[in-house]
Order: sequence, then C-alpha cells, then structure tokens
Amino acid sequence: MWTGARDRYLAGTLSVVGGLLLWEFVSRILIANQLFLAAPSQIVYAIYTLARSGELEKHIAISAIEFAIGYVIAAVIGIAFGFGMANSVRCKQALQPWISGFYATPTIALAPLFILWLGIGIWSKVLVVIFLVLFPVTINTEAGLRTTSERLIEMLKSFGASRSQIFFKVSLPSALPFILAGLKLGIGRGLIGVVVAELFGSRAGLGRLIAQSADAFNMPELFAGVVVLAVAGIVLTAGFGWLENRLVPWTKD
Amino acid sequence: MVPKLRISHLGKTFSDLHALQDVNLDVERGEFISVVGPSGCGKTTFLRIVAGLEPASSGEVLLDGRAVHRPGGDRGFVFQNDSLLPWRTVFANAIIGREVAGQVGAAERQRTMELLKLVGLEGFENYHPRQLSGGMRQRVNLARALAIDPEILLMDEPFSSLDAQTREIMQTELMRIWEEGRKTVLFVTHQIDEAVFLSDRVLVFARRPGRLLESVVIELPRPRALAIKRTAEFVRYVDHIWRLIEDDVRASVIEEKV
Repeated sequence: MWTGARDRYLAGTLSVVGGLLLWEFVSRILIANQLFLAAPSQIVYAIYTLARSGELEKHIAISAIEFAIGYVIAAVIGIAFGFGMANSVRCKQALQPWISGFYATPTIALAPLFILWLGIGIWSKVLVVIFLVLFPVTINTEAGLRTTSERLIEMLKSFGASRSQIFFKVSLPSALPFILAGLKLGIGRGLIGVVVAELFGSRAGLGRLIAQSADAFNMPELFAGVVVLAVAGIVLTAGFGWLENRLVPWTKD
Repeated sequence: MVPKLRISHLGKTFSDLHALQDVNLDVERGEFISVVGPSGCGKTTFLRIVAGLEPASSGEVLLDGRAVHRPGGDRGFVFQNDSLLPWRTVFANAIIGREVAGQVGAAERQRTMELLKLVGLEGFENYHPRQLSGGMRQRVNLARALAIDPEILLMDEPFSSLDAQTREIMQTELMRIWEEGRKTVLFVTHQIDEAVFLSDRVLVFARRPGRLLESVVIELPRPRALAIKRTAEFVRYVDHIWRLIEDDVRASVIEEKV
C-alpha cells in the first residue's frame, strides 16, 4: 500500500521521468535528427553552455526587466482602475467597454505596431506586457470589491462605521484574494507577452534567443529558451501560491 | 422616569406592504424582552429599525429619550449569521466595534479579553473563525456586541442556525452572561420556548399587517435552569403564546408551500 506524501508525489514523478526518457528515446533513436527535435540531455547541455558563455544571463536579464516593469505598472494601474470602477458608477460605465473590449482582443497581435512606435528596445515589450496584464487585474479587483458580503458590511455599519472604515476593514481585505488571483493570471499572460513581442523584433531576450535559434535550426538552444521560460513561469506561480497562503490564509483550508 | 427604550406609533411600509403598523412599547432598564411571531410579522424589521439599520416610515424610537435614526455605539447588534470577518482573529473580531469608534486603548483591550472569557472563549483569542464551531462563533458575535458596552443589546435570532442541543446550551449561557451585567435586551426569535425561557416579557407579533398582538409578562423566578422548561407553568406560557399565533403560523406555512 502506498500512503501519504510518498503516494501523492510518486505518480507525478514517475510520469515526468518516464516522459523525459520517452522523449530522449524518440529524439535520439527514432528521429535522430537534431534539426527536428532535441533530446532532453542535449537541451540541458545547451543551457549549460549558454550559461557558461554568459549569453543566457543577458537574455534572461532583458526579458526579466521587460516583464518586471510592465507587470508592476499594469498591477498598479489595474488595481487603481478596479478601485475606481467599484467606487464610482460613472467611472465603471466609462471604463467597462474598453476593459471588456481589450480583454477579449488578442492584444498581442498589436505587438508589431508597438515596435513600430517604440522601436525594438525594451519599451515596446513593456507596453505589450502592460496590455496583457492590466485587464485581468482590473477585472478581478473590481469583481472582488463588488462582491463584498453585504452581511459583513452591515455588521460594520451597525457599529456606526464610516464609508472609508467599511472600505478598509471589510471591502479591501475581502477583495484581496480576487486581486491576487488577477495578479497570478497576469504572470502567465505577461510572460507570453514578453516572448512573443521579442519574437516580432528585438536585440536580446529569451524570445530573441528562441527566434535566432530557430533561424539557425539550433533545436537544443531553442528548447533551452523554452525551458528557461517554463521554469520562470512555474517558479513565479509557485511563489505567488506561497504569497497567497501568507496573505489570504482564510481562503484555503 | 424616562424608559430605557420607548417605541411610539412605529410603522414601516415596503412599497404597498405593511410590514409594521402602530407598534407601541416601553422597555425598562435591564429588562429582557423577546419578540416572537410567524415569519412575515415584521419582527426582524422591528429590530433593524431600533438598530438604525432601516428607517421607519412613521413613528419614532427613543433610546434614553433620544431619537434613533442611524446605527450607533449605544446599541450592540448580534446577528443571525455570525458575520465574523474571516481574516481576523477572535480577539480582533470582538474588538472591532471599539476600533470603529477609535477606542483601542489598554482599557478596551482588557475589557474585550474579559468579555471573551465571560462568553467562554478564554484561550481562543488568537483563533480564526474557520477554526471555531457554530456555537463558538456565536459567542464571538455576542462578545463583539457587548464589547462596545451598549445601552441595549439587539439580538436577531442568534441561535437559529445552531443544532438543538447547542442552542439549549447557548440559552443557558446567555442567561448566565446576562445575569452578570443585566443589560437591556431585545431578542428576536421564532422559538416560543426560547423566548419564554429567557425573557421578562414576550412580545407576540401578528402578520398582515405586522403588529404587536400581546405583551406576555413571564413571571418565572430567576435565575432559571433548563429544567424549568418542563414545569407546568412554563408549558402554560408556551401554550398561551402558541394559541395566539397558531392561525397566523399555519397561514404563513401554507403560503410558503404555494
């Protein structure tokens, strides 16, 4: 009998290890052509050599800066928009059509336009990230503030609380899980934004690395870029999960 | 002498529905008053108007001779659902009324700790609501209302979501706590035996329109133990009140089915 933690991780570990072995086998024996598919071992080696030459670090640094600047700006503006929409009907009416429109639009398709406007430096990518992250954050913040329990608001009112006391003691904490969920959603979207925008045109960054590797038919390096991105996504999302456990423990059980 | 609470010609209409009509009542300091009646008799609306959570359509509510129009620290409201803030500890929930009033000094903190002890939650100050049972959460709810040291305690069916045994325990606990300070209490319930057990007076409300039908004085000796519920006198009170509202209750039950 398998029980407890061992049981929980066993199937997952076996599945991942098995998958990697199968990948290695298919790539080395069945396809045996580095132009089509790189084996996991070749990818690891590519990551190692890229890291040693310092090239990987350069690409990661550029992508990370683009992501971080765009993400922080989008988070600040998104939360502010969400507050505005939740507190003012006029503000909500004015912003809602734009938010809904942009959220539904694949704004990443605008990346070439942004590059035309802002050049192939980091700012065009920052703008793409802002566009991708802003809307889920805004929508979640607004929804979180709007769905604050009437019962809790009434409880505070019964003690003669003012509007601002109700906001800070009830609405804001009860919206926090929603705001964090919006920010979490933004991580994945932001990473996609950075890479795709870099693919359209850039001097450096993980998207650039992937694009130039593809042009040179260097599959191990192409996969190296993808793997680094995947790891970044997993680490950031896991970090966020940890943050949620710290900040909003009452939503977990 | 001015009564603690005076309700005169109180009326409330929701569009064309007469929720309350011409309710008159004087409550003395330290009295425990229950309000019973079938659903739709306006008993909760009545309590909410006294709390200032709902405006009256006519008439007035005077607490210590002053008209009540909005919620305030002179009334402590105990909610039907506990309405605890899930992100706050038991202590932080209990003191929130003081916090709203800007009074969180050492004296208030000390007083809140004492109240938590009084309601039987000593040692649970740092727990969060999700770690507590329904009965314990209602104890916090009660401590929170008491922590502002209100002139009057307004309780809206606070035990209705508890199971029968927990409810009986909470009734005796409420009696024990009430004997300590003898706050003036308005207690809304749909349980007749609960009302008789707790109260000095039971106000029986009728529906369509919601109005005060009869005020039944309960002359059972205090302090009361649960065993009193099996005495002939107790049963006579319950029967009397039940007969007053029986037809109304049947009518309301049939309506709910339709």
